[in-house]
Amino acid sequence: MSKKIIYGVFEDEEVLLSSAKVLRSKGVRINDVFSPFPIHGLDPVIGIKPTRLSNAAFFYGLFGTSFAVWMTWYMLISDWPMNIGGKPNFLWIDNMPAFIPVTFELTVFCAAHGMVLSYLLVNKIYPGRKPHNPDLRSTDDKFIMEIQTAQNGKIGEDSIMSTLRETGAVEINQQEL
Amino acid sequence: MSTTKKYWKGIEELQETPEFLKLQQNEFAEELPVDKFLGDENLIDTSTNRRDFLKFLGFSVTAASLAACETPVRKAIPYLNKPEEITPGVANYYASTHWDGQDFSSVLVKTREGRPIKVDGNELCMITKGGSHARVQASVLSLYDSARIAGPMKGGAEITWEAADKEIIEKLIASNSSGKSIRVLTSSVISPSIKSAFGEFALAYPNTKVTTYDSISFKAMADANLASFGKAVIPTYSFEKADYIVGINCDFLANWLSPIEHARQYAQNRKLSAEKKNMSKHVQIESALSVTGSNADKRIALKPSQLGSAIVQLYNKVTGSSLQSKSLDNKDAAIGEIAKELKAQMGKALVVCGSNDVEVQKIVIALNQYLGAYNNTINIDVVDNTRQGNEADVMSLIEEMNSGSVGALIIHGCNPVYSLPSGEKFKAALSKVGYSISFSDRADETASACSIITPDHHYLEAWTDSNPRTGHYTLGQPTIQPIFKTRQALESLLKWAGNTIDAHDYIAKIWESTVYPSTSGLTAFSEFWRKSLHDGIVTIANTDQSAIQDALAPAIDLGSSAASISATAAKASGVELVIYSKTGLGDGSQANNPWLQELPDPVSKVTWDNYVMMNLDEMKEKGFNTILGQEQKSDTVEVSLGGHSVTLPVLGQPGLPKGVIAISLGYGRTAAGKTANGVGANAAGFIQFKDGYFNYNVSGVTVSESKGKYSIAATQTHHTMMGRQIVKETTLSEYKKDAKAGNEDILYATNLKNIGKDGKASAKELNLWDSFENKNHFWNMSIDLNSCIGCGACVISCNSENNVPVVGKDEVRRSREMHWMRIDRYYSSDMNEEKAEAEGIGAIDKFLKMEVPSSDEVEVVFQPVMCQHCNHAPCETVCPVLATTHSLEGINQMTYNRCIGTRYCANNCPYKVRRFNWFRYNENAEFDFNMYEDLGKMVLNPDVTVRSRGVMEKCSMCVQRIQEGKLKSKKNSERPKDGSIKTACQQACPTNAITFGDFNDESSEVRKAWDNERKYQLLEEVGTQPSVFYLTKVRNKNATEA
Amino acid sequence: MEQNSTVTVRQPLILGKKSYHQISEDISRPVEGKANRLFKIVFTISALLALWGVGCFAYTIGTGIGVWGLNKTVGWAWDITNFVWWVGIGHAGTLISAILLLFRQRWRMSINRSAEAMTIFAVICAALFPVMHMGRVWVAYWVLPLPNQFGSLWVNFNSPLLWDVFAISTYFTVSLVFWYTGLIPDFATIRDRQLKPRMRKIYNILSFGWSGSAKQWSRFEEVSLVLAGLSTPLVLSVHTIVSMDFATSVIPGWHTTIFPPYFVAGAIFSGFAMVLTLLIIMRKVLGLEDYITISHIENMNKVIILTGSIVGVAYLTELFVSWYSGVEYEQYAFLNRATGPYWWSYWSMMTCNVITPQLFWFKKIRKSLIATFIISIFVNIGMWFERFVIIVTSLHRDYLPSSWTMFHPTFIDIGIFIGTIGIFFTLFLIFARTFPVIALSELKTILKATSENPKQPHH
Repeated sequence: MSKKIIYGVFEDEEVLLSSAKVLRSKGVRINDVFSPFPIHGLDPVIGIKPTRLSNAAFFYGLFGTSFAVWMTWYMLISDWPMNIGGKPNFLWIDNMPAFIPVTFELTVFCAAHGMVLSYLLVNKIYPGRKPHNPDLRSTDDKFIMEIQTAQNGKIGEDSIMSTLRETGAVEINQQEL
Repeated sequence: MSTTKKYWKGIEELQETPEFLKLQQNEFAEELPVDKFLGDENLIDTSTNRRDFLKFLGFSVTAASLAACETPVRKAIPYLNKPEEITPGVANYYASTHWDGQDFSSVLVKTREGRPIKVDGNELCMITKGGSHARVQASVLSLYDSARIAGPMKGGAEITWEAADKEIIEKLIASNSSGKSIRVLTSSVISPSIKSAFGEFALAYPNTKVTTYDSISFKAMADANLASFGKAVIPTYSFEKADYIVGINCDFLANWLSPIEHARQYAQNRKLSAEKKNMSKHVQIESALSVTGSNADKRIALKPSQLGSAIVQLYNKVTGSSLQSKSLDNKDAAIGEIAKELKAQMGKALVVCGSNDVEVQKIVIALNQYLGAYNNTINIDVVDNTRQGNEADVMSLIEEMNSGSVGALIIHGCNPVYSLPSGEKFKAALSKVGYSISFSDRADETASACSIITPDHHYLEAWTDSNPRTGHYTLGQPTIQPIFKTRQALESLLKWAGNTIDAHDYIAKIWESTVYPSTSGLTAFSEFWRKSLHDGIVTIANTDQSAIQDALAPAIDLGSSAASISATAAKASGVELVIYSKTGLGDGSQANNPWLQELPDPVSKVTWDNYVMMNLDEMKEKGFNTILGQEQKSDTVEVSLGGHSVTLPVLGQPGLPKGVIAISLGYGRTAAGKTANGVGANAAGFIQFKDGYFNYNVSGVTVSESKGKYSIAATQTHHTMMGRQIVKETTLSEYKKDAKAGNEDILYATNLKNIGKDGKASAKELNLWDSFENKNHFWNMSIDLNSCIGCGACVISCNSENNVPVVGKDEVRRSREMHWMRIDRYYSSDMNEEKAEAEGIGAIDKFLKMEVPSSDEVEVVFQPVMCQHCNHAPCETVCPVLATTHSLEGINQMTYNRCIGTRYCANNCPYKVRRFNWFRYNENAEFDFNMYEDLGKMVLNPDVTVRSRGVMEKCSMCVQRIQEGKLKSKKNSERPKDGSIKTACQQACPTNAITFGDFNDESSEVRKAWDNERKYQLLEEVGTQPSVFYLTKVRNKNATEA
Repeated sequence: MEQNSTVTVRQPLILGKKSYHQISEDISRPVEGKANRLFKIVFTISALLALWGVGCFAYTIGTGIGVWGLNKTVGWAWDITNFVWWVGIGHAGTLISAILLLFRQRWRMSINRSAEAMTIFAVICAALFPVMHMGRVWVAYWVLPLPNQFGSLWVNFNSPLLWDVFAISTYFTVSLVFWYTGLIPDFATIRDRQLKPRMRKIYNILSFGWSGSAKQWSRFEEVSLVLAGLSTPLVLSVHTIVSMDFATSVIPGWHTTIFPPYFVAGAIFSGFAMVLTLLIIMRKVLGLEDYITISHIENMNKVIILTGSIVGVAYLTELFVSWYSGVEYEQYAFLNRATGPYWWSYWSMMTCNVITPQLFWFKKIRKSLIATFIISIFVNIGMWFERFVIIVTSLHRDYLPSSWTMFHPTFIDIGIFIGTIGIFFTLFLIFARTFPVIALSELKTILKATSENPKQPHH
């Protein structure tokens, strides 16, 4: 049988949410949802695993800290130690108080930028990328549910569409794959 | 016969073949394909179309401009064949003599690659003992003055020496034969050779007469000595032997007779140590606050007209005689006090007086006689030859010139049109002189009015000799090839007298006949000559010691002197004017020297101008602005007397009595050069010529407020210490009781158990960090505030050693002077913590009052401040790019080419000693001083970088000298000896107030100074731990001591 | 549920019956519409000012720092005053979007976008000064941790100026990405509204091809939250470090441990003042009264009272500490501020920063646009004087009276300052015309919760 994508268009995020629950209870796999703003509580319903970007940020920050420590040590203590205003720089730890600000800033710098870069990567968004939201209104005021028939072999496409209609989709579009 | 010969091009022409004849008509042998090219239809669509053409055009233009962008190549051309005595990078030193008619100094000249770059005192000289004066230090820059004329000039046009000599000799012979007189007007001549040259000249031209003229006259003193001792001489003084010094209107430390020597002697008897706990007492009686007055232990401010009476009173009260004298209203008691103390100091007292009133000088001599000063503190056998002027002669010369009887006038070493009170008269008279010759090095006020200028060498280009005082001779050799086509006056005179010998041989001849005989004569003359040239000086034991101490000539009648003194005092009316000379410019002969112009006056701290000094209270009454500052313009007044009048800004001067104003000489030059012209106004016109003497204190002056306002350029605009412990000071009696008097340790409460004792510790102990140790050397500097007289020689010395730029009046107004070393001057204030406490004055009011210096009984302190080379330097910590760091020898070093100019270091410097290059001060037409001209740049010290725009700079402790010293001693594989390395300021200091050395060397002077109880560090409570430290000032106040 | 209950007691944050589409419409209007005459005039003026500033700057580089009024004693004056002033202003934005996000303050949503924009532009203006004030601008890059050409001379990590380099650059770049991540979905909204392919293309590039899928949204929320978490300490650290330029020095009046909190409070104070100044104009000009409501203004005024009072307390504490320290230099430094030759700057600081904000205790004034606008201007002026007082009056009379002197600004000093104001407004006006000035996707999330129509009408 032919593979199709069914788009259920909703006007209210709460309606979409409830309809999604119904569909899931019927064992329908929802491929994706496109919305003008985040819908709270949707992710578990359609089975999106929580992101690990924050853990990444932590490690980026850790890198920043250690880089700062190494840099200050190498530049002022190891490579060319100098008598600067009589401040003791015999050991890194002696001079450490002066290094705190730079260390802190580098930590934040690496954490923030590292994380944002990974965010762009995993989201695969970058200048000039072609957007793939099925309907332009999905960034304005429409909430669109994407269901692929291929993933729901046993459940008939008609039943999916009817369920959608029942659960408040204002329009339903199909698209041949 | 004209040739008809024909050269044929080829055999064809010869044979005149038809083809040839045909071709001959055409310009070109073959047809050129012009039409083919132009007629070419598809020319339009050839590969080279318009676009290509434009491309080519563009390319070629770009290429051309790129080629033009290439940076100019500066070639350093090495010696083709190197003079053996010159090693590039190694300095040569030559002994010479500085004498410009006002300052004598035997000097040692530092030359690099054949050009003099620094002048310092000659340590072998018994007079200066290596000390020097600001004007002497600066004289090296006057050598490179672009205002000097390049050769003999006649009517503004250069001529050759041959032409000049020819004309001059003709004129001289003419005027000689016409029976007209030939006159030589010269500043005091101390050179035996020039003296004898004058002799030879007089032989050649019999009706020659030499007139001597000093811009600042000492005639009265000579005449008084003539009256008292039968010889018209200026004696020499030994301030070091005096335990009690009374200076009367006499700036002997900075501007009077032999200041370098006096300063040294003076300080010698005021240095204190564990061994020597006594010092002289110095009382100064004067009107305008002078450098000397500001160093006095006690200063009595009197009107100029009262000074005579003061001396008579002093004489009366010391000798118990009762000469006629006027009362000094409230100051009589003070004079009595001094008299009492003087009497106690018989034989160890000295009274010096700067007055040019012969009667006053007579009394002074009598007083010194009574006190037994002669042969103790005054020596009249060893006489000073540097002041021989006779203003009476000059005045009669003017008459003579006007009468038209003067055939020729030769002017040597003086500038009467500028410096005479009747300068204009002299100029007018000059036009009536048949022929006038000037030896001036520039077309100055006088020279430009002369028929011809035959420029003399600068002393650094010339062979010189001198006999500044009995038994003391100096030699000077050229330190550089003459820069211009100038000729030494000595040679010129001889040439005109028909003697073509050159200066060196002539001087040698003179010495062989005069100086050499009076030496032991053990060595051959050649040897003696060589040694004298090397040392620069020869001292001969004074032979005739005619005892005169008690031979007070009976002839002189003090009564009449006293009478005339009180008569003059009675005549004084209205506002009185003191005409004085400043440490920087003196009589103005070096006025075109930017270093001197920018040297702050030791007392007023004003640069680049002279001004009318006035009593502070009086100014307030008149509603004049008493505050200095960029936006605080000073009011100007017109001061006039007789025909002469000047308009100058008014400056409030503490210690100046009401009803008295003071104006300095040396300014208002009109033809000295671009630096000096139009700076300030000339006060010489106020000098009064009265019965044979110039009078520098005049009365009956009218002071009228004038419209204009003027912004004075001062380097210090705030004058009091605001009750802070900046200059620590005590009295001798306190010091004797406790050597730490006035310098008690400041302890701070702390809860740290391990340091200090019972919860208190010193600033040094309260240290956050374990400190760096300076393993090899640790350079420290100590400054004895009791020896520093604030003369400013060190400042000029620093400028010339370290290529410190001159920034000009306008930048100084914006407080942007670049001096690495400054001398802070603080006046005492009538308000202080205790007083405020007692009278319950609130903090705000207290500080406002503290800002105002005391007007009458003002006390002054000087404090030289340069980079303190803190071992916990605030500047180093804050530099983002490590442009300033600490050396392993404890020096705070500045890396100019790393500096990015954030100025954070300067802001964070508690001493404010860092200087920022706001503009490019070198090679910048905006700053047209010595660093702009090629000539002026020759004075730069090649061992010190010229700083670029936008970088910070400051005192480097003369690191280049330290390195040189270390290398020298390294060559003989030894450690630098203490004192072998001297900083520029230390070397210039006439009083040895500055000691520099290696702290790690236990025996070094600086280490001893460190252990001195008087030692303290400036602002030690800030915890900067400076390597520069000070010794407290001690004033000798109480009568009983000294 | 909890949300709704809070809403019932609170003022609605969005007025008028808005649908999601309506929000998109309203926010996109300024971007899509034509610029009116007023806008053009204002824009031209600020652009000219900016040019004038650039001219003065060029003259300074060409001639030397000497064209400013500085001298041997006062090495910093208007340059660093302006720097600190601008950095201070640049604090509100990140603070609003970061800290208020963490505190779940919904009212931030209508203002955070423009506040952040303002932050970024202010920091740009601020960053100009540390560069400009260098004697040798052309080697400014030496402050970066690079070796010199011989390889081993690095930078001085002891120097607060170097801390500034790191702090300012981190703060600027992080604020920028924070701002932009938030912008991406909104650009997408505008993109999808465009019919003209060119506009579509531009906004597609700006939107990074955002599609708004569920995954993207969940990551988006995570990133916003973490960035907020990072920015919060960052925004506090920046002015702390700026204050250390002075606090770590030895100059009386600078050497003060109270500076970090005092500067941060001052920064937020001035930042909010500037936000108010801008928003009160913007909501009128762009017709966003429904989104930037009086209650928003009132909330910000409350922050101003708080921070203003903190600053006031700091001033008094300084005076007390200087007296209590028993250090004559400290005591004189502060006495001199109040009664010395620069008394006028001290007292204008006091009136503008301490007295005027207290008027906000009155609800009437707090809710009045005119009053708020005037007071916000006062605060801006006052905060400039605060920095001037700290920098100049401390320097011009420090330890040795021999070096005491005055500072007199030249027209170049003034010109450069005016110039940065020009640059700031030019950038902000461009922003207002081309960017969604309100975070519309965020706003839509709270529409139901806090608008006047709690439930979306079905049609």
